Amino acid sequence: MPAILEVDNLIKKYGDFEAVKGISFSVEEGEVFGLLGPNGAGKTQTISMCTGVVPPTSGTARIGGHDILKESAQVKKINGLVPQDLALYPTLSARANLNFFGRIYGLRGRELKERVEDVLRVVSLTERADGVVDKFSGGMKRRVNIAAGLVHQPRLLFLDEPTVGVDPQSRNHIFESVQRLNRERGMSVVYTSHYMEEVEMLCNRAAIIDEGRIIALDTIKNLIALLGGGVVYVGVKQADDATLAELSALPAVKEAVLVPQPPPPPAPEGKESTTETKPVTATPVIKVVATNNQQAVVNVLGYLNQHDIVITSLEIMQPNLESVFLHLTGKKLRE
Amino acid sequence: MKTISIALKDLQILFKDRGALFQLFILPLLFIMVFSGALSAIGGGSEEQVTLPNLGVIDLDGGEAAMFLINKIQEDGSYSVQSLTVSDVQSQLDENKVVAVLTVPAGFTGGVQGSMPVTLVITTGTNADPQIVDAMRLVVESIAADMTLESQIIASLQQMGDMQATAPEQFQVFSTERVLAQARSQFETAQVRPLIKIVQSVPQQEEQEETPDLSLSAVPGFTILFVFLTGQTTARSIYDEKKVGSFRRLAAAPINKVQLLAGKILPNFIIALIQIAVIFAFGAFGLKAMGLTPLPIGRAPIGAILVAILLALCSTAFGILIAGLARTENQIGGISTLLLWGMGLLGGCLVPLFILERFIGPFAMIVPHYWANKALDDLLIRGLGLADNYLSLVMLGVFSLIFFAVGLWRFDFER
Repeated sequence: MPAILEVDNLIKKYGDFEAVKGISFSVEEGEVFGLLGPNGAGKTQTISMCTGVVPPTSGTARIGGHDILKESAQVKKINGLVPQDLALYPTLSARANLNFFGRIYGLRGRELKERVEDVLRVVSLTERADGVVDKFSGGMKRRVNIAAGLVHQPRLLFLDEPTVGVDPQSRNHIFESVQRLNRERGMSVVYTSHYMEEVEMLCNRAAIIDEGRIIALDTIKNLIALLGGGVVYVGVKQADDATLAELSALPAVKEAVLVPQPPPPPAPEGKESTTETKPVTATPVIKVVATNNQQAVVNVLGYLNQHDIVITSLEIMQPNLESVFLHLTGKKLRE
Repeated sequence: MKTISIALKDLQILFKDRGALFQLFILPLLFIMVFSGALSAIGGGSEEQVTLPNLGVIDLDGGEAAMFLINKIQEDGSYSVQSLTVSDVQSQLDENKVVAVLTVPAGFTGGVQGSMPVTLVITTGTNADPQIVDAMRLVVESIAADMTLESQIIASLQQMGDMQATAPEQFQVFSTERVLAQARSQFETAQVRPLIKIVQSVPQQEEQEETPDLSLSAVPGFTILFVFLTGQTTARSIYDEKKVGSFRRLAAAPINKVQLLAGKILPNFIIALIQIAVIFAFGAFGLKAMGLTPLPIGRAPIGAILVAILLALCSTAFGILIAGLARTENQIGGISTLLLWGMGLLGGCLVPLFILERFIGPFAMIVPHYWANKALDDLLIRGLGLADNYLSLVMLGVFSLIFFAVGLWRFDFER
């Protein structure tokens, strides 16, 4: 499959702040590609550069074989953008909004009318087409938002967090629409989200982004396989290197390491730390990467019990993108 | 076409916004009604004062041309002509029985018939309404110009006839073409050097100070104030697009920045022109219906249109300036309110310009409102020509350019 999108070392800086720190990936024609990362990771900035909304500080990308900087007019005809915000005119009807965005893409007359009817069908809003957007539910607004990005029939659709603030029913509807567009029309999709379930469900491949960098990129299956059988987090009163080595040697355990503890919070401004202030001492947490989660839990708890090591907490994480992200960054996706 | 699509969409949104429509179209009319009504009580302006003013005439000549002039003024029907003697003048003016006195000097008829320069004098009272006096002067000037032309052409043709009559046949040189050329030349001379000169004097006052009708000054003032308010609407519309993300969506579409911005500012320009048309129509017909002095649009329609276009352009540029400077909704409100009302106050939109200038002098000139106000005041109220107002028009253009330049320089397309 030829690549519809090739991103080559994109960097975006705002003064001293580097929002995107050299991102590269490619998306094949007909693929649904996920960009997974927490808020502020650089997903939207990456999309903004690919769609020509903001120029990159350096690096470039090619869409459908056209350079985003040198051939932006051709690129913009191939792209469709569904922004994270409800980028609609609330006092106009859904149809008026879609007609407007269609005209911006050069559609006129009968062709415009047919395309608008088509996208209204795709998002199941034909019967509410003449309703004022402001009066719609959050989910319906999201669907009109998606329709506005589809009206010119793009080959590559960028969906930026399309399910934020949406009820479960509308969310399912959006998933179905994306899957149908990809399956029936061969539309390529770049789907950004911080909901790992969505990326797992919709995407063939995904890149995990954190702090402006891609930290993992593979098929969903391979990304999850990074964790083997899952991860177990065990809080204990004390743990030393010998304990960790013995835990790592247990059956069904791939690796046991101490989770780095965050530094204690600084003293309040204007107050020096005194001897009366007790430092915050968190108990150690051992991260156990398992080849088989259930077996690993039994073995680890048995070992700790046998060695009189007091357990303060226990968290078992099944292998998924959330636990992969946590494994790779030490942070949760929705922190 | 994409620019037009954006502009039509913005107009569609605006016309659904009742609050904005009230602010742009109804509020200025309410302000004008209140201010015109209030100011008419101070500075004149009710229509009764304009009807059939008395014009005193002192005929020191008693000749044919003097009679002709006086009859023509009577036939004009705008004034009630009353014969006076020199000794009556002061008392008649002081008691406001006549608004002005026209003195026809002795030797007027001889001068006109002999193509010699003569001078008519219009004497006004200190409280005379400058509008009425101006109009009266125009009537007298028009009749005098006709008399000058007639006299000069007749004299010229008479001279040519005399020369022809005494010359032998082979020297009959004055063909029809030559006679017509001579008539045209005389006509032009009469326009440039009128035979009858008219001077205006005010007893016991060195220099006549024109006091325009205060009630009329409210119309240009509030027109300008509220037209600039449209600029705020444009800035808010751009901010709203950025806030909801549609600006980002448009930036991702195959439309360049010029088309995008042109689409955003075109509605401002159109709305500003509609605003001016509505307010001026109200000034012309609404004030008349209210028994107040109507805005004399017919005095300088071309000039008024030119000022309207430049004013709309300046307001549009002001919108871009605000959109470029403000980063938040509060800043749009704060900056535009400060500038709109500050510039409006300085530019004579709230206090009539001729009063304001006495207090702040040339300081008013730093705002476009002043130049727009001055241009409309001069053209429509004082009856001056476009040539007298070229500086005001140029300054409006200069302000538009400055606003556009600073606004575009500061405009952030990425947020």
